[in-house]
Amino acid sequence: MTKADGTTRTHARPPKIKPRLRSADVVGALIGVAFLLPVVWLTVCAFKPVSELAAFPPSLLPIPPTLENFGAAFVDGDFGAFLWNSLIVAVLSTVVVVCLGLPAAYGLSRTRMKGSARILTSLLIVSVFPVIAVIPPLYVILRGMGWLNSYQALIVPYVAFGLPLAIWVMRNSLLPISPQMEEAAEMDGASTLRTIIQIIVPQALPGIFVAAVLTFVSCWQEFLMALSFNASAQYQTAPVGIALFGGAFQLPFGTIFAASLVALVPIFVLVLLLRRWVVDGLSTGAVKG
Amino acid sequence: MSLLTTTTGTATPVARRSGTARTDRTRRRGVLLAAPAIAVIALVTLVPIAFSVYLSLSAVRPGVEGFEFTFVGLANYAEALQNPAVWEAFAFTGTYTVVSVTLQIALGLAVALAIDRMTRWAGITLAMLLIPWAMITVVSAQLWSYIFNGVYGIANYLLMLVGVIEAPVTFLGNPTGAFVALLVADTWKTVPFVALILFGGLRAIDKELYAAAKIDGAVPARILGQITIPLLRQSIITAVVFRVLQAFGLFDLPFVLTNGGPGTSTQSIAMLAYNALFQDLNVGYGAAIACLTTAIVAVFAILFLRTFKVDESHD
Repeated sequence: MTKADGTTRTHARPPKIKPRLRSADVVGALIGVAFLLPVVWLTVCAFKPVSELAAFPPSLLPIPPTLENFGAAFVDGDFGAFLWNSLIVAVLSTVVVVCLGLPAAYGLSRTRMKGSARILTSLLIVSVFPVIAVIPPLYVILRGMGWLNSYQALIVPYVAFGLPLAIWVMRNSLLPISPQMEEAAEMDGASTLRTIIQIIVPQALPGIFVAAVLTFVSCWQEFLMALSFNASAQYQTAPVGIALFGGAFQLPFGTIFAASLVALVPIFVLVLLLRRWVVDGLSTGAVKG
Repeated sequence: MSLLTTTTGTATPVARRSGTARTDRTRRRGVLLAAPAIAVIALVTLVPIAFSVYLSLSAVRPGVEGFEFTFVGLANYAEALQNPAVWEAFAFTGTYTVVSVTLQIALGLAVALAIDRMTRWAGITLAMLLIPWAMITVVSAQLWSYIFNGVYGIANYLLMLVGVIEAPVTFLGNPTGAFVALLVADTWKTVPFVALILFGGLRAIDKELYAAAKIDGAVPARILGQITIPLLRQSIITAVVFRVLQAFGLFDLPFVLTNGGPGTSTQSIAMLAYNALFQDLNVGYGAAIACLTTAIVAVFAILFLRTFKVDESHD
């Protein structure tokens, strides 16, 4: 099993010797810090007064820190409405993905269904296929259905594009579960659905969490479909709001960064809380970036 | 372990019994359980792609009762292939894909190797890497456009500090600078993703192989080339495929960071198709470009499928 720090599963470490600075540890940690720096800069700049944002050379700390950018984003700019739309779309998509994906993962891993290998490989391709391939036809179809500028215009495609990955992740977490309890439940006359809910779900919970988090994160980030299908500001999501901030000549970076920081908090918290599982999910290769 | 290999050897005993009534029942049950999800995926991806082929062969005009379609054969494709902007977009996207994926796989491997050597702080380092991975691409694009700003960007400040340049440079004002800006922004977000996939592969390698190679007197470069990389093959393939398909669909980053410019030098295929649809309102033409993209990506995907085996876990 993975240790709590998410590092290793195969090789047991020798008992801890008193810490001594090893160059490998320092190099590794510095790499991590380096990747963090741009986000640190984003945070610093979100708290800078507007006058300081365009200073050169730039000041490295927001002294004094100010909330005026947050005011501009949420009080004057109504960025909260974009976040609300993102939340509705991402949460509903995630719920549907898990509800449809879990039975599919079960069917593809624990029954004698034919052609499941071929289906699984195709799913993998679908999950990373460029979205632009479906933008023109989906636009025409959604327009025909009168679904442009609505939540479902995003939820339906997000579900379809989120399912393949979620099915993969959940399938991988179902494979090691012993079939004996299932068989026993079946002998007792439990229905398939009941077996899944009572026997499988509790044991596959980590996999289900990872699938849900990954789906949520990818819905929260999605831009091209959100931009294409919902032109009305009433249904635009956070990435669209962030991309379209500002006028033709001057970008209000302070406002953009304040809004961005708030939009990033939910996914950062989710990802860091489920860090161990997400790292495992990523490192088993079943995740797109 | 990559997902290409995790699937072996976990056959369920239930599934091995064959030819019984129970087998038929679980087979039917499998289909029933998987059908709704597969149907949704097919309806929203495969059906529209087929419809897109039809659109690409039509002149599409917005009419009173929705769109009106007139069959025009290959006219949209002919128009696309005669347009230098299309060739430019394909050339940019292709170059970008090759350069970015090569760079990101190399850096991702380096980062994965570095983490694999850590005995302390590995958990926190992985957590720090998850942050750029979870970043909203549009936010990343805005952030890097601020960093690379020609007047007050901190990139200029840092480069002047170490003496690489003497005066601020307008990175986004020339094609090479804009290409580099895209590359840096993309690499920042993507290397952690590649590193995590490869790190998973590294963890599965038996460390005694390294010890044995060292005893035999192999130098680190030789160990990397003859033990590590061959054993990481599946993870590397997974990372390359994911990255190639994503890079080829590049949209968010240039849309916000460079707006395809300067001029049209960083206009990706996806941006071109988007502009055809939503600026020129030319649905048929946009569909033709989308179909060309689909065809190229599909060829790559098929080549990949040949190297890719999933165990059905019950054959």
